[in-house]
Amino acid sequence: MERKYTILAILLIVLALGLVILPKKNELKETDPKVLLSEAVQKSRYLTVDQVTHRIIENDPTLMLIDLRKADQYKTFALPGSLNIPPDSLLSKTNMELFSQPGKDKVLYGNADLTAEKAWLLCSRYALKRIYIMKGGMNEWFTTIVSEKPVSGTPSTADLDLVSFRKAARMFLIGTGETASTSAAVTVKEKVQVIRKAPKAAAGGGC
Amino acid sequence: MIGSIISSGMVSPAWDNLFAVILGMGFGFALEASGFSSSRKIIGTFFGYDFVVVKVFFTAAIVASLGLLYFSYLGLVDFSTLYIQPTFLTSAIVGGIIMGIGFAMGGFCPGTSLCATAVGRIDGLVFFGGMFIGVFLFSESFPIFENMYYSGSQGAKMINTVFGISPELFTFFLVLAAIGMFVGAGRIQKNIKKIEY
Repeated sequence: MERKYTILAILLIVLALGLVILPKKNELKETDPKVLLSEAVQKSRYLTVDQVTHRIIENDPTLMLIDLRKADQYKTFALPGSLNIPPDSLLSKTNMELFSQPGKDKVLYGNADLTAEKAWLLCSRYALKRIYIMKGGMNEWFTTIVSEKPVSGTPSTADLDLVSFRKAARMFLIGTGETASTSAAVTVKEKVQVIRKAPKAAAGGGC
Repeated sequence: MIGSIISSGMVSPAWDNLFAVILGMGFGFALEASGFSSSRKIIGTFFGYDFVVVKVFFTAAIVASLGLLYFSYLGLVDFSTLYIQPTFLTSAIVGGIIMGIGFAMGGFCPGTSLCATAVGRIDGLVFFGGMFIGVFLFSESFPIFENMYYSGSQGAKMINTVFGISPELFTFFLVLAAIGMFVGAGRIQKNIKKIEY
């Protein structure tokens, strides 16, 4: 091996070894209040019920639905793949590890927005990333997806597409002819699976 | 601390395609400058007379890994905002086998075939045409393959979690493996008759 390559190889080994022996930093940090305020006034944390439903149907592996309602409400009806985390156990060690999973969009929702907003604020305060709120919560989801709204006036193509999508979503998620009150059959009981260590990425490559 | 400019909301996702074109041009330029538009150079990996492909991609992987981890440690990059491609195990294995066969037969991978086409190589153009036909046929027959395509979903899985070690330790082993490969490839290349192309 040429000398310049030997030097480069030694440099790479030293750099890699440095990563291993450097003291670990405390990963759980708190967000600066000014940054938190700036994030809180932005609307980018909201996802519409249509966006969330689309990702459920697409079986999006990056979607993690966090249902903040009471356990009995969750048992009565839950969105497919959702996890029930009551607000009082939001910051437990297990749940913090769950929220720290990289590559996942954590979407919070309750019956309305209030609980989800509080949970979002707590998670953001703990510097957790990719936390979103399903705007309007389950109430809005039922109003929009389950209850069929008549289209007023002359609808645009986009409006008609949206109506078609909601109709298809309704059939996909609760079946034809069912209503909100009879949709309990879609109850999902998924065991919470936790990746213990929040990993840091090593980059991949490809051509 | 910064994240990726798209996911952090600094730039509208509407600009995605523009960034893709600019980055793609840079990537293509680097491929061409490294000689990757020659199928003989690429196929040299399989015959043992030229390992530049393996060396380039291994180097890219270890430099990027070290860079990301150091920048993250120093608080310069927040890579929790980076997109991690979800793993679909079955389709990854099947796709990998198909791509490997195509790679060995044609002497190109998708990116390098476009590079070769861009510089006017006929074999690159033929390969690109075949790839396009393959993409078209796959798209048209997607319902047949859909179940297989989405099976083995593992989410955004990281290889270091599979081994149960830290990303830093995994990167250290990756660097050792890369250097071992560089040395081994150099020795193999010395024992193989040099081919002029």
